[in-house]
Amino acid sequence: LHAAVAGLPVACSRVLPGLVLRRDFAAYCPASGDLRVVLVTEPLRPALADPGTEFVVDSEGQYQASLHWISRRTEAFMKHLQSNDVKLLLSSVKQEEVVIYYAKLYGVSVVECLSSEEIALIREITGVSPYMPFGNNISGEITETAAATFCQPLLLGSKRCVHIGFTSVCAFQPHCLILCGPVDGVNEQHAVALQGAFTMLQQLFKRVDQREECKAEGESQTEASDVCSWHSSSTQKQVITENMSCNSNQVSERQWKKSRDETETQIVDSDLQGRENPACVQTDLQILSNPISHIKEFNVATEGDGSSGDIQKPHATGKRTGDVHENYKSDSFADNQRNYSTAVSAVDGANAVTECERLDVGKDLEKTSCNIVPFKHEESCVSTAQNYSNSLIEAGSVLPVGGYFEILLHYYIQCYAKQLQQSEVTVISNVVADALLSIPKSLYRTTERNSFTKFYLKAINALRKNQPLPLNEKGLESVYCKYQLVVSVLHCVTELLSIDLVIGVKRPLQKIEDNDSEGDF
Amino acid sequence: MSRLEAKKPPLFSSEPLTKDTVIQSLSLLSRVLKSCYGPAGRLKQLHNGVGGYVCTTSQSSAILSRLSVSHPVLSVLMASVQNHVSRFSDCGLFTAILCCSLIENFKSLNIASCTVIKISKHLLSLCMDYLKSEACGCRVSVDFSSVETLLCLVRSVLRSKPACMLNKTEVDHLAMLILKAFIFAVPCHVETNAVLGKCVIVPVKGRRVVDSTVLPGLLIETPEIQLAKPLTVKRTCSNMIKIALFCVSMSGDTFSPEEGTITVHHGISLEMSELNQLLNVGKQLVNDGVGLVVCQKVIHPSLKQYLKENNVIAVDRAGLSLVEPLSRMTGSKPIASIRLLSASSYGSLKDVCIESFASKHFVHLIPDNTVVCSLILCNRNETAWDELKCACETAEHVLQLTIKEPLALLGGGCTETHLASYIRHKTCSLSTSSFKDIDCSQTQYQLVADGFCCSLESVACSLNHDDGEILTDMVYGHCWFVPPGFPSVSNWSDLVSKCGCGINNNTENLNWRLLQGQFGSPITQGCPKEPSVKVADFLTLDCFAAKCSGLQVALETANLILDLSYVIEDQN
Repeated sequence: LHAAVAGLPVACSRVLPGLVLRRDFAAYCPASGDLRVVLVTEPLRPALADPGTEFVVDSEGQYQASLHWISRRTEAFMKHLQSNDVKLLLSSVKQEEVVIYYAKLYGVSVVECLSSEEIALIREITGVSPYMPFGNNISGEITETAAATFCQPLLLGSKRCVHIGFTSVCAFQPHCLILCGPVDGVNEQHAVALQGAFTMLQQLFKRVDQREECKAEGESQTEASDVCSWHSSSTQKQVITENMSCNSNQVSERQWKKSRDETETQIVDSDLQGRENPACVQTDLQILSNPISHIKEFNVATEGDGSSGDIQKPHATGKRTGDVHENYKSDSFADNQRNYSTAVSAVDGANAVTECERLDVGKDLEKTSCNIVPFKHEESCVSTAQNYSNSLIEAGSVLPVGGYFEILLHYYIQCYAKQLQQSEVTVISNVVADALLSIPKSLYRTTERNSFTKFYLKAINALRKNQPLPLNEKGLESVYCKYQLVVSVLHCVTELLSIDLVIGVKRPLQKIEDNDSEGDF
Repeated sequence: MSRLEAKKPPLFSSEPLTKDTVIQSLSLLSRVLKSCYGPAGRLKQLHNGVGGYVCTTSQSSAILSRLSVSHPVLSVLMASVQNHVSRFSDCGLFTAILCCSLIENFKSLNIASCTVIKISKHLLSLCMDYLKSEACGCRVSVDFSSVETLLCLVRSVLRSKPACMLNKTEVDHLAMLILKAFIFAVPCHVETNAVLGKCVIVPVKGRRVVDSTVLPGLLIETPEIQLAKPLTVKRTCSNMIKIALFCVSMSGDTFSPEEGTITVHHGISLEMSELNQLLNVGKQLVNDGVGLVVCQKVIHPSLKQYLKENNVIAVDRAGLSLVEPLSRMTGSKPIASIRLLSASSYGSLKDVCIESFASKHFVHLIPDNTVVCSLILCNRNETAWDELKCACETAEHVLQLTIKEPLALLGGGCTETHLASYIRHKTCSLSTSSFKDIDCSQTQYQLVADGFCCSLESVACSLNHDDGEILTDMVYGHCWFVPPGFPSVSNWSDLVSKCGCGINNNTENLNWRLLQGQFGSPITQGCPKEPSVKVADFLTLDCFAAKCSGLQVALETANLILDLSYVIEDQN
């Protein structure tokens, strides 16, 4: 929920509790303290004749009496609201001036022309349904009322808005973000960036699970130890980078979740306080992750815990000629292993290390063998739980920004490719590994020349020597999001490479159903 | 039938700031705005070749809303400034000139724009921290117990709009009126939610400015009232006048429901029926002892006649804009029904009389309180009146902003040069860790800071439209203007008497230097001092909130524009 104000510096943005409706009161009667709110969706002043009906005037007296009755009725309704202690009337339709007049007389504030989305939102927050005034219930008690703690005008820029603090009946406590920027376009971008940030935060708490655990096989021992040593190095690094050493033990999941809410608001605040390039999501995310990092950055178990179970090597896709058919090869250095379906999220059971498994993706396509080697290294999600983690990517795993994810993935794909015998897989793995480097390459393009080469060499050297990675960026990025991204990209590439013919059509493509219904007229 | 047109592909251009046309139009816009700036600013006449209304102005709001620009880069800049003006009314030209100047200076630096943006943001935060700190040497606190500082603020606003064509006495007279109107609007008894009153500007064109005046209450123009007849109004026992305010039509037009049909039998006249109802309302009003009836819309002549016969004054066609202040002033609730009148809707007035200005007649409603007042604003011709009205509204807005934040900044270019001196001083003593934080070298930082200071100083320089030199002193960092016609090697202390804002006199050796033409040369600058005596008389002062926000918006917009590397225009 946000409201944009153009013409103020970005630093003026803030978060307000409650709901902001972007229109003024039709009638405003100041009321302090808690108040009751009624929702209506139809005109409160009865019409002389309803649509489709006819009103026959027999005499002037009858006509006047009818109009008189209408006024009385409207007045009675407002009186009724007053006697039920209702101080605010929210209407989805525009009400007649008479209604507003009587509302003012009886101390009821009125807000008109609420959109259906707003009505739906209010209904969700408060759990009330619109009040139907007609019928014979005008004397009864109004049950469908929502409670609000305040209701006041709010000046946004030069426009007066309605600011209501509903007492929520569900867990959702509405807050409204007031976005300020020099022009509207900047505000729109901010809003989109924030939405992106929230989506990312939601994704951050997802995890990639694996269903089974296997025991490490002898053959993979060497690998495992390799991984282990890497892991220990990362542990070292984390211990170094972590200034809060008390966090080297696990922070329980619950604790973390509790603090999450606070952190989120805090994030948004700090985010808006005069921060960086408004158009840039990345920056937003950077700040977003910072507070989190204290709680969970590299939530590392001790070195001894960092056994093989923690580090996974999922598999990236690769292709061979003709590739109409896809084959997923699973492999695991450690004990776990998984398959990727093209749909990405599904994770299947484990197999022995050396075993290959093939998975039919395109069912009716011709069969060509193609080995896909997804590959993934999980650095920071090293076991939060006491035992070896069950998940491939822990909820809330993050990595520092600045191309580290890509470099790590690149490095491990290359390592993986080296000890494979099949040449195609090696070739393809290298292609994927190199392609990954294009991200840090373009990241470092804007700064001085050769800086990418420097960065790359530094990082790779550090990896080879099991030293901590040189860190200079402050931001973090969600590993889960990155993981989804890489898998989607690989999927997309596979699809694109499978296309052998592009047919141009003149007319816009129509859905098949539309064609059917059109008929031959 | 509508014809379908083939969609045009979007226009795509990269690096807009390197294009000659963009650079030229930007510098043209910058020159146009600079020439408008300040009390000596040159006027611009805006008119359409085919005739019609001519506007003579030097205000950013008037110019920017009427200019049409071709390039999106410029529209971003203009939209930004217009949004600022709509929030703060003041400092539009300052924002626009500073923004143009920042873009030009930063662009010429040949440093990657992301680095420039980072550094300039850091500089802005230095400025804002300084402006908000107690140690700030270019701000004065506004004392609401005396009018002097407030008058300075209003006078500065009026003087900076030369198109109003005011002389000194007129400025003083108007400043006093505006301040009076503002003080009227401040409620006497402040509750938890204090709401400022309202000042309604009544136009009287073709009169001298000194004929302008402020009256408590509201004026409603009534062409038909005869001046000769003295008003006889019914009063209540407490010697007040009861007023009924209607916001529905009382013309007796038949009620028209939006939906459904109404069938009327032969011989029945709904119009007559409605008129009878109106007369019933009239009867009730008379019985209730109402002395004045004001209707937003039209009152039926028969009802008017009836009310007149019963010594009730009826004023119709008051207009929507008067309903709200009228209801506030009298405590009446606008009545939206001509059927059921509730006695609680009536309000009360202290007096009613007839006033006339120029050839216009008004009913003057005098309330018991002064929440609402009217400023009768006179000026000789229409375009000067429009400009003056805008200036008065700006001044009122500035006072409102000042009441929220009782601070003012020194005007006359002194805040700009003082800030520039402060930044120059501050950046010399910056620690290396702060460069590391911004990820830039010290040279880069110095270059950007220099560009930033030069931009600020160029705003101060735009106050001068003649050939005279502009100086700044090394002690207070204020801005001094040398009258034109003296060689630049003169002994400055003989030529200047007061700084731009008027706070410092030429009493000590202040170590002046030229402001212009020193781009890039290193200047060793001590921390600018605060003036020792802060006399509040006859200073040029600017609105604190408006200027701070203008500074931020200018920099944010300049950064936004510098950051553009592609422009994609939809041509459909």
